[in-house]
Amino acid sequence: MAIVELENVRKVYTLGKAEVHAVRGVTFSIEKGDFASIVGPSGSGKSTILNLIGCIDQPTEGIVSINGTVTAGLKDRALTQLRHETLGFIFQSFNLIPVLNVYENIEFPLLLGKKKGSKKETREWIEFLIEAVGLADHMHHKSNELSGGQRQRVAIARALATKPEIVLADEPTANLDSKTGQSIIELMKRMNSELSTTFIFSTHDRSIMEIADHVIQLLDGLIVEDSKTKAEAGSIS
Amino acid sequence: MFLTMKVAFRNISRQKKRSFLLAGAIAFGMMIITLMNALTGGAVINIRDNFSHALGGHVFITGREWTDAGQMIMKIRPDANLDRLLEENSGQIAAFTRRSQAMPSLIFGSQQTLHMLYGVDFVEEERLVNSLVVIEGSLAEVGKRDDIIVLPEPVAERLGVEVGETVLIRLETLTGQQNVGEVQVAALIKDQEELGLSAAYTSRAYLNGLLGMEPHEYQILNMFVTDLDQVEQFARTFREGLMAPDEEEEQIDEPEVTVTVAGVPIDPVQRTEEVTPWEGTRYQVMNINQIMDAVELVVGVLNRVGLIIFLILLVVTMVGITNTFRMIMIERTKEIGTMRAFGMHQKQVKNIFLWEAVFLGLLGCLGGLVLAGLIALAVGSISLNADPSLQFFLDNSRITFALPGKDIVTNVVLVIFTSLLAAYWPARAAAKMSPIKALSSHT
Ligand SMILES: Nc1ncnc2c1ncn2[C@@H]1O[C@H](COP(=O)(O)OP(=O)(O)O)[C@@H](O)[C@H]1O
Ligand SMILES: [Mg+2]
Repeated sequence: MAIVELENVRKVYTLGKAEVHAVRGVTFSIEKGDFASIVGPSGSGKSTILNLIGCIDQPTEGIVSINGTVTAGLKDRALTQLRHETLGFIFQSFNLIPVLNVYENIEFPLLLGKKKGSKKETREWIEFLIEAVGLADHMHHKSNELSGGQRQRVAIARALATKPEIVLADEPTANLDSKTGQSIIELMKRMNSELSTTFIFSTHDRSIMEIADHVIQLLDGLIVEDSKTKAEAGSIS
Repeated sequence: MFLTMKVAFRNISRQKKRSFLLAGAIAFGMMIITLMNALTGGAVINIRDNFSHALGGHVFITGREWTDAGQMIMKIRPDANLDRLLEENSGQIAAFTRRSQAMPSLIFGSQQTLHMLYGVDFVEEERLVNSLVVIEGSLAEVGKRDDIIVLPEPVAERLGVEVGETVLIRLETLTGQQNVGEVQVAALIKDQEELGLSAAYTSRAYLNGLLGMEPHEYQILNMFVTDLDQVEQFARTFREGLMAPDEEEEQIDEPEVTVTVAGVPIDPVQRTEEVTPWEGTRYQVMNINQIMDAVELVVGVLNRVGLIIFLILLVVTMVGITNTFRMIMIERTKEIGTMRAFGMHQKQVKNIFLWEAVFLGLLGCLGGLVLAGLIALAVGSISLNADPSLQFFLDNSRITFALPGKDIVTNVVLVIFTSLLAAYWPARAAAKMSPIKALSSHT
C-alpha cells in the first residue's frame, strides 16, 4: 500500500518576475514501511518535495496524497491536524525547542493533540524512546548542553513520539560529521525496522543513501532514477 | 493550554535582561500608582481620624424643638428613648460626649475675643480631661465648680488674662436674648489648632444656664464608634430609632454640610426654612463619612491624576512590549515553524505570545508592589517635622499608606490588559506566519 503518492507534481516559485521551477512534474509513490531516500545535488528540489509531503507546502500542480488524504485545498487547520496525526519531522539543524529539556522536547508533539493513553503509559513511551536513541543519561539536559549528534537523536525520538506513519528528514546529516551522520542514519534505520515507521530522508551524500531500500534520484526538479531494493531484512545489524 | 503556558513561562527567562527591562518598566508604573493610591488612602484615614478628633466624634446627634413663641432652638432634653438607644448600642460606642456650645465674646478688661466654647460635663468626660495639655493652673477643680473656664493659651495671651482671674462671657441665649456671666480661669491649655481644635471649656451646667437651658440638657451628642466601617449603619440605627412617628426622613445624607473646622460641624437651624412647627424634639444624626465626602472627592481627583500618569507609563511600556515581541517573533521564527510542523495550531502559537505578555505583566506588577511596599515601609518610618497645617494628613507626624485590595486588582487588570494589547499584533503575526516560510528562515 502506498502511503505517499505524488502524481505529476509541479512546484513553481515566483521570485518577483522570475519563476523558479523547483519541481517539474514528478510522480512516485512510497510504500508503508519504506526507508526511502531522496537524493540529488543542491537545488535539485529535494526540500521542495519533502515540504510537499510534509504538508507545509502545497503543489502548484498535481496531486500529493498522504495516507490516502489529498492535501490540495485543505485549510491550515486540517493540514496542521494531518501533520500532527500522520507525520514526524527531523530537520537539518535539529530545531529543538531551546527552553525545553530532552524529555520535554520529545513529549512536546504529544502535548499538542488530544491525550492518548494514561500518564504512565506516555511516560514509559517517552522513556523508551530516550533509551532507544541512547540518551537516557541526558533526559533533563537542555539542547544547548548537547552535541550535534545528540541533538539529532533527540529530534529522532521527537519525530517518533506521536507514533506517526511517516517521518520526514530533510538532510538530517548535513550538519554532522560523516561518522556521526552515519550513526544517525543507522539509528533511523533501526527505528524504521523496529517500529515499521516509514522514513523519507533527503541527502546529497551518496554513501548515506546506500542504507535506503528505496532511492529516488533527482536532478533539476525531475526524477532521474527510482529504484527499490526490497531485500530489506537484516540489512542492519 | 498547559503546554503554551509552559513554553511561554520558560521563554520569559530566555533573555533575562530583556524580560527584566520590560517587567521593570511595568514595575515602575505599578510602583508609582500603588504609592499614589496608598498615599491618598492613608491620608483619607488620617484626615478622618483627625477630623473625628477635631469634631469630637464619628457620629453627631443634634436636636431641634420649637418654643411656645414659635422659635426653633437647638437642644436635646433628657430622653428615655435616646438613653435606651445608647444602652442598646453601647457595644459599638467607644466613647460619647454630651455638650453645649456657643461662640461667645470672652472679655477681660479692655480686651475681648470671639471664641468657641464648649460646655462639658467634666466628670463624664474623663477622656477630654486626660487629653488636655495643661500649661498653667490645674484641672483639679473643674469637676467641682461650675463657674470656671479652661482657656487655650493663645486666647489667654490675647486677653492678657492669668490663671485665677475672672473672664466675662457675653452671648445670646437660644432664644436670642443677650446674657453675660463671669467665670474664673482654672487652667491654660496647649492649643490644638493644627487639628482644627481650638476651644475653651466650661462646665455644661454653667453654659446651659447662660444659654437658657436646664443643667441636664445639651446640644450635641458626639459618639466615637468602635468600628468605623460600620459607622453608616450605626448612624442609621440612631436616625431611625430617634425618628418621631409623624416625621419624614430628611435627605440629610447629602454631603452639603459646611464644616467650619474650628467650630461646629453642623448648623441645622440655618438649614430649616419654612417648616411647620412640630411637637417635641426632632433629631438629626450626622456621621463623619458625610463630612469626609468632600475629602474623598479631592482624593478621587488625585487618584485619577495618578491613574492618568500610570496609563501614560503603560502606553510607553506598551510600545516597548510591541517592539520587543516583534523582535522575539523574528528571533523565534524557526522555532515557530518547528512547532507548527509538529501540529501546533495558529491559535496556540498566538497563545504562547499572549501568555508571555501576561507573565511579564504579572512579574512587573509583583515587582512594582514589592517596591512600593518597601518604599512605603521606609517612608512610613520617618517622623516628619512638618508644618502644622500638614499634620492633618499625617498620623503622629508620619505618612501612612493604606491600599485597598480593590485598587491593586484594578491596576493589575489594567497592566495585564495593556500587555495583552501590546503583544496581540506580534502574536497574531507569529501565528499567521506560514510554516514553510518560518522553517526556511535563517534566524
Ligand atoms: N521559497 C522559494 N522561493 C524561490 N525559489 C525557491 C524557494 N525554495 C526553493 N527554491 C528554489 O527551488 C529550487 C529547489 O530548491 P530545493 O527544493 O530547496 O532544493 P534542494 O533541497 O535539493 O537543495 C532551487 O533552485 C531553489 O533556489
Ligand atoms: Mg534542501
